[in-house]
Amino acid sequence: MEATSLEAPAIEIRGLSKSFGSGDTQVRALDGVDLDIERGGMVAIMGPSGSGKSTLLHLLGALESPTEGTISLAGRRFDGLDDRELTLLRREGIGFVFQFFNLLPALTAEENVLLPALIAGRRDDAIRERASGLLDRVGLTPRAEHLPSELSGGEQQRVSIARALLMEPELVLADEPTGNLDTRSEAQILELLGELNRRDGHTIVIVTHDPNAAAVAQRVIFLRDGRLAGEVEGGSPQRVLDFLADSHPP
Amino acid sequence: MRSYYALALRQLRTRRLRLLLTLAGIVLGVGMICGVLLLAATIQRTFTDLYDSVYGETDLIVAGEDFSSGSLPPSALDRTRATEGVDQASGIVFSVVSLVGEGGKVDDGSSSTLNATGIEPGSDLTDSRITDGREVQGGSEIQLEESWAESNQVEVGEDIKLAAPSGVVDLEVVGLFRFSNGLDFGGEGFGTLPLPAAREAFDRPRAFDEVQVVVADEGPSVEAVQQRLAAEFGKGVDVATPQSKGEDVQDQVQALNIVLYFFAGMALFVGGFLIFNSFNMTVLQRMREIGMQRTLGATRPMVVRSVLVEAGAMGLIGAPLGLGLGLLLAIGLSAVMRSVGFPVGELELTPIAFVAAVVTGIATALLGALNPARRAGRIAPIRAVLGAEGLRDRPPLRRAAVGVAMIVPGLAGAFLLGASDETTTPVVAAGIGGTIAIFFGIALIAPFLIEPLTRVLSWPVRRLAPVEGRIAADSARSNPARTAATATALMIGLALVVGINSLGASFLNSIEREFDQSFRRDLTVQPRGLSPGQGPQQTLAAGVAEQIAALPEAGVVTPERFLYLGDLPRPAGAESGPPGIVFAFDPALYPEVDSTELDAGGASTDEFYRRIGRGQVSIGRGYADEEGVEVGDEIVLEGPSGEQRSKVAGIVETVFAGGQTVGMSLQTIEKVYGVTADSDLAVTASSEDARPALEAAVEKVVETDYPNLTVLSNEELKSQVEEQLNQTFGIFNALVGVAIFVSLFGVINTLAMSVIERTREIGVLRALGSTRWQIRRTIAAESLVIALIGAAMGIVIGAGLGYALLKGLAFGIPGITYTPPIGTMVGVALAAIVLGLIAAILPARRAARLDVVEALSYE
Repeated sequence: MEATSLEAPAIEIRGLSKSFGSGDTQVRALDGVDLDIERGGMVAIMGPSGSGKSTLLHLLGALESPTEGTISLAGRRFDGLDDRELTLLRREGIGFVFQFFNLLPALTAEENVLLPALIAGRRDDAIRERASGLLDRVGLTPRAEHLPSELSGGEQQRVSIARALLMEPELVLADEPTGNLDTRSEAQILELLGELNRRDGHTIVIVTHDPNAAAVAQRVIFLRDGRLAGEVEGGSPQRVLDFLADSHPP
Repeated sequence: MRSYYALALRQLRTRRLRLLLTLAGIVLGVGMICGVLLLAATIQRTFTDLYDSVYGETDLIVAGEDFSSGSLPPSALDRTRATEGVDQASGIVFSVVSLVGEGGKVDDGSSSTLNATGIEPGSDLTDSRITDGREVQGGSEIQLEESWAESNQVEVGEDIKLAAPSGVVDLEVVGLFRFSNGLDFGGEGFGTLPLPAAREAFDRPRAFDEVQVVVADEGPSVEAVQQRLAAEFGKGVDVATPQSKGEDVQDQVQALNIVLYFFAGMALFVGGFLIFNSFNMTVLQRMREIGMQRTLGATRPMVVRSVLVEAGAMGLIGAPLGLGLGLLLAIGLSAVMRSVGFPVGELELTPIAFVAAVVTGIATALLGALNPARRAGRIAPIRAVLGAEGLRDRPPLRRAAVGVAMIVPGLAGAFLLGASDETTTPVVAAGIGGTIAIFFGIALIAPFLIEPLTRVLSWPVRRLAPVEGRIAADSARSNPARTAATATALMIGLALVVGINSLGASFLNSIEREFDQSFRRDLTVQPRGLSPGQGPQQTLAAGVAEQIAALPEAGVVTPERFLYLGDLPRPAGAESGPPGIVFAFDPALYPEVDSTELDAGGASTDEFYRRIGRGQVSIGRGYADEEGVEVGDEIVLEGPSGEQRSKVAGIVETVFAGGQTVGMSLQTIEKVYGVTADSDLAVTASSEDARPALEAAVEKVVETDYPNLTVLSNEELKSQVEEQLNQTFGIFNALVGVAIFVSLFGVINTLAMSVIERTREIGVLRALGSTRWQIRRTIAAESLVIALIGAAMGIVIGAGLGYALLKGLAFGIPGITYTPPIGTMVGVALAAIVLGLIAAILPARRAARLDVVEALSYE
């Protein structure tokens, strides 16, 4: 799905709010967030638990609907779309990478990558070539025929990333992508994500609590209690740590 | 993979144990349906073959109704021959006889039974040909059906002895024949004698049992001749084509078929439940996965369809397996039926069974998976992240209300089934629908009962093993919907067992009470395997009564004659009567042997018997209530030998034949139905002292000269009836057993799921020092709790179901009272315990074998 305008930001968020529950137990997870993310940008969203960062990601991915506010992706607004339209939007416009990989245990790595195409009903050669190409891009061609149970955590996450890219999405969302990995795999995944952004130009939003992960991004946005709490430039874990230290004076 | 839906099929392979367990449900259900279908087809073909063979060249049959409703007058043959359009008419006599073997004994079982016909030599109209020897020509000859001769090792040229109504007769075997369609009548044999020899052997000196007619090719049509003959003879004579005779038998077998289908249907219902539960568990387990597919762009309808594809595939796989099982079942059921004297031939492989297997398998799977599929479709994409967290597991209260609302009409349906006198289709549908409604209603209510039931029923388990019991109870309570579904499946089978046995216990009790009240006799002499109503019965030789009466120990010796009619004598003004039994006795002596309660409209018992002697009749209470007939009303007797109108002298309070009886004097039954042979003899001792010696004395008489008869004391007679009842109900219980077996798989499935869900918990327990055996006990405890819940519900529902059915039956058979089957209830509770333990074996093993470290880190 190609963007219609080079100038328009990939993502526009205005006054986004989300509440859970009702009455006395109501929780306002997000409270009036405004945010723009440009095409080809890589943004990390950080914050303590309860800050609303995961909620923001879920809303971005049309996994949930906001209580108030709007989201637009490449100029197309989410509100007013019915379930079927949202499903199609997810199919072609958004790629997900989950913390727990979420691969189908019965399918090989290659088949897992091809799953979005299967769902979209596409069996053409072009998409198959793209799948092998992506597997290669994430360095897993020799493991293409293996089942997830035969792959390490890092390898599974790489399959997951390849899958997220298959349908050439407008946006890639990663929810704590390294949360379940050992430090070496973590570094590899972060490097891969950074490359996919810098070299291949994918727009990526990653939610994390790990400053190392945040540092790979171009922008690091902080949330606290459902609201924007600041932003620093990406690229350096130290900057992130400094910001965090500043916002929590002893 | 070719498509998204092929993914569903690939998924089948991953959970193999669950696939097998779920498949087992389909296979058993389909197997039952196919088995019953095949059996029904076989029975139908057996009787169709019978009529084709025996009446091969006959166009019309002139006889009393059914085979056993008496004899035609001697003039019947001439009158038939004189009727226009009749080309050939052959008069025959018929009797069921037994082969007397070595040492003068008659074997029990169908292979010693011979259906013997006496014909004028040369007028054989059967569809058969001689394979050895020749046709009978005269004298004491007999020709035998080939395979029966073979199985009894009888050859041409030998003499055989047959126990017949006139005593033991010697006959020479002059030929063997074979029916062209190879009729297999469940092992029973066929034989033909010359008419004079037959008249002597069967004690039928002048009357005919049947006249077989061949209509001339030129001249009036078969229908026209049929009408003429019907007009020639009276109402009591039936002029029918062989086909319609065959159809009549079909109708009688229909009632049996319906009962069989009902049980098969129940097994299938439980199978569907199994699918429902299994797919619900699968959907729950795959919540994260399905959510993920939704994030990848799978639409709701796609998800629903993929679950249905999985179910359909299971149905398709289960169908051929079910068909195979059905074949085995049909073979088994045939053998059982033959052993109770019902002739069933070789298995008929109707193609309908194959189609039925596929359709039933797929339909059950799809219907069972429908609700889970819709649930799967409703899974939101956010579940990819959340998994099953925060899901409400309690069904809405509204469902319980619907459930209760279904039970009441359900009970009404069961009541209706019992109350109606005819098993017409809408009535049966109401009964079956009613029962299913009750079960459905319980299924809806059950989740709300789990909490209190678990608390009560886990008490004994917690006493035995406190820790395990507590964990088990918590586990059962944690997902009430799932526990409820599992227990309900078990409940259905157990409830049916209790319900059926309530009927059995109640019938038995009522019959025994009547025996005790009305039997004043000491002994009964009857043919082995006497069962009025199940086709032609053997009769007693004329000399038996004389010989026994001559004994010094014998006091009163008086006969009874039974005749089953599909159409009892009707009240004056009515179109027809209900099916039932005509029985005749000697009014002078009968009061000595019988004291059944009577309502003679105010007259004394003596006066009642006098009236019977003058040609009046008695009727059973069931008949009286149903037809609204009272003492003094007129009944029309129309039999093959004559017609008569009689007043009702009294109403007999009996449960025999459901109270559908008409009693009359020996004279009357001879005059109207031409019945001259006795069905059994009632004997009293000449004095108190003679009583002990009586039985031995009578047995001596019977042994030598009448080996096909048996002598029964009152106790023996009672236990014979009890045995017959138990055999019949035993078959039903076995069929229900299949449903219970199916539900066991559901329990195993649920336990396996429970183990998976509590993997981490089990790991913690092991890490804290629980032994493998303790883990096993935990699983066993959970299984016991579920099984006991199922049993408790089953006992209550079964008692209710039985009560409703019986109250309905009591409408038509007053005198039947409800007896709760205490023995069965205890048995059910014990069975539940055993079944629970068995079901736990596999899952407990799995749980005990979990690696502690892996279990602790299980996500």
